[in-house]
Amino acid sequence: MAGVNGPLNGIKILDLTHVWAGPLGVRFLADLGAEVVKVEAPYGRGPQQFPSTPIGGWIGKADPEEPWNRNALFTKLHRNRQSFCVDLKQADGRNAFLELVRVADVVIENFSATAMRSMGLGYDALALANPQIIYVSMPGFGATGPYSERVAFGPVVEPMSGLTNMLGYGPDEPRNSALAIMDPVAAVHSAAAVVEALRQCQITGAGAYVELSLHEGGVTYSGPWLLDHQMGHTPVCMGNRHPNMAPHGIYPCLGQDQWLALACVDQMQWRALCGLIPGLAQESDLQQRQKAADDIDRKIRAWTQNQSKAQASELLQASGIAAGPVNGAADLFADTQAQFRNFFVPYEQFDTPMPGNPIHMAGLASHQWTQCPDLGANNHDVLSQWLGYGDAQISALEDAGVLFNRPPD
Amino acid sequence: MVERVLEIGGYAAGYCGRLFARAGADVVRIQMDSVGPAWASDEAMSAFLHGGKRLLSTADGQLIAELANAADILIVEAQTANALSAMDFDGFSTPVKLAMTPFGRTGPKCNWNASGNVMLAMGGYTHLMGDPDRAPLSLPGHYLEFQTAALGYTAINACRMAGQHKVIDLGMFETLLALSQFTSVRWQCAGEQRERHGSDFWYVVPSNLFVCADGWVYLNIVPSFWDPLTVFLERPELLLDSRFLTNDLRMENREALHAIVGEILAPLSKAEIFARAQACRIPLGVVQSFAEVLDDPHLQARSFFAHSNARDVQPWRIPENPYCINGERRTVGLGPITSEQVPLWRA
Repeated sequence: MAGVNGPLNGIKILDLTHVWAGPLGVRFLADLGAEVVKVEAPYGRGPQQFPSTPIGGWIGKADPEEPWNRNALFTKLHRNRQSFCVDLKQADGRNAFLELVRVADVVIENFSATAMRSMGLGYDALALANPQIIYVSMPGFGATGPYSERVAFGPVVEPMSGLTNMLGYGPDEPRNSALAIMDPVAAVHSAAAVVEALRQCQITGAGAYVELSLHEGGVTYSGPWLLDHQMGHTPVCMGNRHPNMAPHGIYPCLGQDQWLALACVDQMQWRALCGLIPGLAQESDLQQRQKAADDIDRKIRAWTQNQSKAQASELLQASGIAAGPVNGAADLFADTQAQFRNFFVPYEQFDTPMPGNPIHMAGLASHQWTQCPDLGANNHDVLSQWLGYGDAQISALEDAGVLFNRPPD
Repeated sequence: MVERVLEIGGYAAGYCGRLFARAGADVVRIQMDSVGPAWASDEAMSAFLHGGKRLLSTADGQLIAELANAADILIVEAQTANALSAMDFDGFSTPVKLAMTPFGRTGPKCNWNASGNVMLAMGGYTHLMGDPDRAPLSLPGHYLEFQTAALGYTAINACRMAGQHKVIDLGMFETLLALSQFTSVRWQCAGEQRERHGSDFWYVVPSNLFVCADGWVYLNIVPSFWDPLTVFLERPELLLDSRFLTNDLRMENREALHAIVGEILAPLSKAEIFARAQACRIPLGVVQSFAEVLDDPHLQARSFFAHSNARDVQPWRIPENPYCINGERRTVGLGPITSEQVPLWRA
């Protein structure tokens, strides 16, 4: 039941997260060796019948027999975990959960600010069960303040972070990333916060209440611009250009919707670019290049549009210029760097390759990874190995409808 | 005991060091002549990243080696794998060493030249942002560096907690690949490539930017919020409209639905829309200017910004970490401390 090998071996985490930010943050901790139990509600993965194909498709095949266990997006986020499916609204389920809390190191959830409290499972209740528990709460707008009751998803938090002032085709054409980009910001910082709190607990012996706001993650990301604004250099949206690099852009290549990203990071790269692309003035400094950006972009486009993005990237890189293809999904799997470093790992069912762990260090090995467990697949193991429950005790909970291994009818 | 952290490199190293400084570590940053072009002024980047650190301007390899060998943690960000080796990274005896490079320390592209927009393009982000009939958009700012740094911080602390001596190799390209939402699984499992659709999240409708009387708002109506949206729009009859009964139907009829939503929101102010969204409990955000973010009453009520103290010349408001532990914001001094003010540690 222990986690995969890694520096977090011995750390027990109860993971009540859902959607994206929470599960992704926990995945990093599981990859580092934490023993993670996913505490799931009976409908946590959806109903028995899905109304349509999920956004990431199915693992393995269309129309799977147990669709709640074959959602590819869910599967991607939940490796190296065990599934404990329990109804926390029932007294016996709640009691079993509190017993798990007593032997756990971390509880993490990303419900609304009041959800856990309303079930009587807020930090105060959990700290009574285990004063050393690290409790991580990730409500969208935080647990306090005038917006704390608001509904928050990554895409609606993004415009409130300041980012929308900078992302778009120009000041009058703002865009949302439509990637829910505040979720991975919160995810990565949740992992950072958990380990920071664990280290603090290691020193003081005291537990901690960690609060992380999706909204504040976004505002932190905009931090340098917020400071610039206060310093009187209000930043403006420049499309694909950059305030301190020129050229800097996305240029068309041969083929439909094929593009290349290019930047001259310094004067040396600019000179090298002048050696490749005709008509560029080698002696131009950054300010001159910024003034002539339209003309420079035109000349670069004339050069790139006759080449494939791969060819152009290789040529530019060979001259020492920062450039690379705009990759779609298929390109990511074909990328030689990702392949060389075995980034995509086929540990999942049907050998489906899944994104790996960017953290490389001796002792971490993806060949130990375990597939996303089926719903409730580890109910018995979790109760017996963490709490010492006997078979009869576990059967009684199953018979009473407290534990589940499929969504209710 | 206060941990000693030596930080060398650009904005990823700076952000990693920022997290350590806020956690109470003694962070010494080696100031270099150039760390690459930033998205904000040097003054802003320094105020954001380097508060509470000691800055040391030196190219003296022996001094850097002495500091590295005396440190508990070494954070290095380098432009390429070769540049990292040239710093004698492998020669330092620091217990935990983090190397952050664009492509990692090995592989055919480990010495490729990189910039933020190149990495975001190669990592699959750029392809998905912007309008379908125009050039894709690159994500402005230092997302790549800050995300890599926070992962590095996690890995370092995990090793320190376990008492393990480790060298951590963290590539920014792989960080982006690891943070994809469903780009890779959709390709592998549904056989479909995710594409860009402007601000439209596409898979749930309506989810888009809408113009209002004094700016823009963003709606993100996942299916469970469809009913309250009709209340918010004051158009309950939409619940019975056969074009919009399910998310699949709303996807088919997105233009008609967007037109209805756009018409209703256009004459309203951001404040009116925001208040109504709160009352109806629907997921909606307003596009805030930088001034509005800084003055946001919610962030103020939560004391999210650190304010200047007597030592600081200007009353800057600096965003703190997006997490707090036991209600504490890990505020540090707003300006860096020079090495003359506190003696440096040595091996």
